Amino acid sequence: MAKNITVYTTNTCAYCAMVKRYLDTKGHAYKVVNLDEYPDQRQKVIEMSGAQTVPVTVIENAGSDAPNITVGWNPGKLAAALAA
Amino acid sequence: MVGAGPSSLAAAVYTAREDIETLLLEKSVIGGLAAITDKVDNYPGFSQGIEGLKLAEQLQAQAERFGAKIDFAEVLGVSDEGEYRIVKTDGGDIKTRAVLIATGSDYKKIGVPGEAEYYGKGVHYCATCDGAFYRDKRLVVIGGGNSAVQEALFLTRFATHIDLLVRSSIKASEVLQHDLQAAVDKGKITVHLETHTGEIVAENGRVTKVTGTKDGVKTEFMTDGVFIFVGLLPNTHFLEGSGVDLDEVGLIKTDEKLRTSLPGVFASGDVRSGATMQIASAVGEGATAALNIREFLENKKPTLYS
Repeated sequence: MAKNITVYTTNTCAYCAMVKRYLDTKGHAYKVVNLDEYPDQRQKVIEMSGAQTVPVTVIENAGSDAPNITVGWNPGKLAAALAA
Repeated sequence: MVGAGPSSLAAAVYTAREDIETLLLEKSVIGGLAAITDKVDNYPGFSQGIEGLKLAEQLQAQAERFGAKIDFAEVLGVSDEGEYRIVKTDGGDIKTRAVLIATGSDYKKIGVPGEAEYYGKGVHYCATCDGAFYRDKRLVVIGGGNSAVQEALFLTRFATHIDLLVRSSIKASEVLQHDLQAAVDKGKITVHLETHTGEIVAENGRVTKVTGTKDGVKTEFMTDGVFIFVGLLPNTHFLEGSGVDLDEVGLIKTDEKLRTSLPGVFASGDVRSGATMQIASAVGEGATAALNIREFLENKKPTLYS
């Protein structure tokens, strides 16, 4: 199923690098929103994820309303979200 | 190699460069705690210091250049099966001749009410990850060692003011204490010594204050978030029952060749009993372990007539 993937990151976040590496190794294309470059997106991330942390990975499936949101570097949860 | 922090990445540079098939298994972050440290100022070779993430990326790229492989996996146990070691992971068993355990440490929890409930939502252990969410906010940082002081200094980039709660006295290096004093003089950080953290309190799901006691008197610190750096916990729980001997705090005991009590299993870096908890030492131990592993493998190598 077609997926739109967005990874919210900051310049200094090592766990964000892990999420990007994971998606790269699994062959998924994704968009990166760096909150240091787009600080106006910070509030949106807090509202979406309920957390004040990055990485936040948002996976939208075509035809589905509710995106899957993974907070932090959690390969098990990412794998499940990508398989859904 | 269990873990992909500086120690095992350094070991991998040596082993992979000598054509020893090398696989690193990491469950968390490549580069370990070094990767989530804002700035590494005392690693030789970088006159102006280097960002922890950049150092980790360089170590990783160097190990991979020589052919080391890094996989995402959690190691659940290690056992000795004679000629081979079996590394049990969440993705299946791996049969190997030699194992290096370089799993380092994780930041300790303090175990106060509110800490687990608001993790990631006002309670944090990674300043470089989450500091940016506290621009123009007040923060509490808990701890008095190198990490606490260094990360509190990093957080002054974002926060208007930081209360640093220290259970006893500041134990950070002289250089960091000097920088801390400068931040105190500028009014960015207030240090509270002999202060025990009691509870992290939230209202409507948002952290609002930290309670504590000083000299038996209850105190409160109004805050928007809490960063905790109160020491390190060795990542050795997976070795329970493996036959790898640990010391009284859970660090791995080794001999002068960095061999553990389990044949063919070596340990290096912060997870090793007697480690100095420095990246430079961890990297040096990684190189030493790699050379000892090579020696071990050469002695193990079956000859034509064996």
